[in-house]
Amino acid sequence: MATASRTIRERITRATSAAMFGVCVGFSLLIVVLLVMVLVYLFTRGIDTVSIGLLTQLPTGDQNEPGGMLNGIVGTIVLIGLASAVGVPIGVLVGIYLSEYSNDRFLPGPVRFICDVLAGVPSIVVGILGYELIVVPLGGFSGWAGAGALAFIMIPIVARTSEEMLRLVPRSFREGSLALGATKSQTIFRVVLPSATGSIVTGTLLAVARIAGETAPLLFTAGYSRFLTTNPSEPFPSLTIQIYQAAQSPFPAQQRMAWAGMLVLIVLFLILSISIRLVAQRSVRVAT
Amino acid sequence: MTALPSGTSSPRIKRPARRAWGDALLAWSARGAAACVVVLLGLLLFVLIRAALPAMQTYGVGFLTQTEWRVNSLDAPIRDAAGKLTFDEDGEMLTRVSPPVYGAAPTIYGTFASALIALAVAVPLSLGAALFLVRIAPRWRLATAVGFLIEFLAAIPSLAFGVWGVFVLVPFMRDVIGPAAKGTLGQISLLGWQPFDWLFFRTTIIDGVGVRGEIAINGWNMLTGGLILAIMILPIITSIARDVLRSVPRSQIEASLALGATWWQSSVLMLRYARSGLFGAVMLGMARAAGETMAVTMVIGNANQISASVFEPAQTMASLLATEFGEAGAEQRSALLFVALILLVMSLLINIIARYLVVGSAVKGSAGQ
Repeated sequence: MATASRTIRERITRATSAAMFGVCVGFSLLIVVLLVMVLVYLFTRGIDTVSIGLLTQLPTGDQNEPGGMLNGIVGTIVLIGLASAVGVPIGVLVGIYLSEYSNDRFLPGPVRFICDVLAGVPSIVVGILGYELIVVPLGGFSGWAGAGALAFIMIPIVARTSEEMLRLVPRSFREGSLALGATKSQTIFRVVLPSATGSIVTGTLLAVARIAGETAPLLFTAGYSRFLTTNPSEPFPSLTIQIYQAAQSPFPAQQRMAWAGMLVLIVLFLILSISIRLVAQRSVRVAT
Repeated sequence: MTALPSGTSSPRIKRPARRAWGDALLAWSARGAAACVVVLLGLLLFVLIRAALPAMQTYGVGFLTQTEWRVNSLDAPIRDAAGKLTFDEDGEMLTRVSPPVYGAAPTIYGTFASALIALAVAVPLSLGAALFLVRIAPRWRLATAVGFLIEFLAAIPSLAFGVWGVFVLVPFMRDVIGPAAKGTLGQISLLGWQPFDWLFFRTTIIDGVGVRGEIAINGWNMLTGGLILAIMILPIITSIARDVLRSVPRSQIEASLALGATWWQSSVLMLRYARSGLFGAVMLGMARAAGETMAVTMVIGNANQISASVFEPAQTMASLLATEFGEAGAEQRSALLFVALILLVMSLLINIIARYLVVGSAVKGSAGQ
């Protein structure tokens, strides 16, 4: 090391470096503190109102005795189910196409680009598309429109993650399978896909978690309903829209319900995120 | 690299005809799904443009600069040259009916201004956190924990931040930040001229006379919207910046340290080396900020106006759509769809440029090794 520097310029340089080091640590601390603060606030405000009744009762329509959020919870589960039924197969198929058929004539390049483009569409615009495409012809809000909007958001995400996971499967797997006389479809279904299943499932679950928290696409597609319904042809409830409406209400009892619903949503997200990450780490270790 | 050549088959073994259909089925299903994706984009553009066409034909490009957004018609009295009310033969007051007028300028301004505020707050924080994650955290074995926390922050639905904003940030703005700003910035007076006067007072023109009034800071304003957006784009910029900084070749950093650079000097070198990727990260954050709906709608005040002060309520394109689309009449809906089209094009452009910058930077980084 150089001997102790005595010039002022060197002292300033070292002091600046130490100061900026502290700034970087401080900024990271700030972000972590902010996150913890928001979470703690959501927890403490919601914890008093959360009860079994919240999860199992229906809203009463009485602004001072709001009841529960069962219709929203069931509604979100149904919407996710419908959206995944369409979004996951199409997304995985697109992923297979981009990964296994990537030297087709002219489709793969543009399709990959369009997937990125679709992933960047603001969710409110997706909701408006769903309105113009499904709600207007059918004459009213419906669960189908809401599920359609969610599927639109889901497809590019599932497609890109599936493609990436499939590309991680070693080339030797495919070559070995073909050398043993398998057809291309046999190779894909019996060798490539099974190797990538864990990670594809992880990617899909992350996409599901993403659409479970979406509100804007559902505003003008599924609308909202105070009743517990599993018929997607009528206005359909969802947890996020229910929380949104409760949060804007001037009645304190409704606002407390908004906090509690938010707490339920966040806890579900936390559980989902942690378990997805644990499963992902385990499957990555197995694959390598 | 991992793709099979199309039409692969073993040269000597004849594939039984009954098994050939599996290949064709899969190939065409996959192609069909890919075609679906293209169709989705086409559908999106077609539907939006078709529905926005009436408004596009009525307003043209002037829509982007028109600053008034009035949903109802105005019934204004017609005054004569002296300024007196005029009446017809039956004694009825003559009025002029102004039809609704729609202009996107306030919301375009609102989107950009709130995104700018968000970036001004979030970019320094994110870059600092990214430097921390890449250079400091690994030595302190905090990299996974802090990284996971920031990714979890990214996964929280925007509605949660909206609810938090309504019940926490808005009162905080009203009771703490507002009075504090007034008490400090509002009191600064340089020889009688107050440089921050525009933040706290506005001049409204009523009947041709400018009336000066104090802005009441009630918490629902552009600044609150910008702050909420900042919180939402922090994790995106941080994680992409972290990945971009990680791709800077170690040889560069080691060389600078060998030449006697301090920690900060070598970090600046990292930042400069990765500047295009970092710019891409910032632009992706901007794209997210522009498209963000729920959190902003709940705190920004929903006033279609361009105002110099950040303490006044405002409107972004996304929040305009969220609040007015539900009860819009036919003409208003067409104007709203025009706004949606503008929002879509803007988001897509920013996304495409950003992705090009980030991918380009990653390629350069790995090539440099």
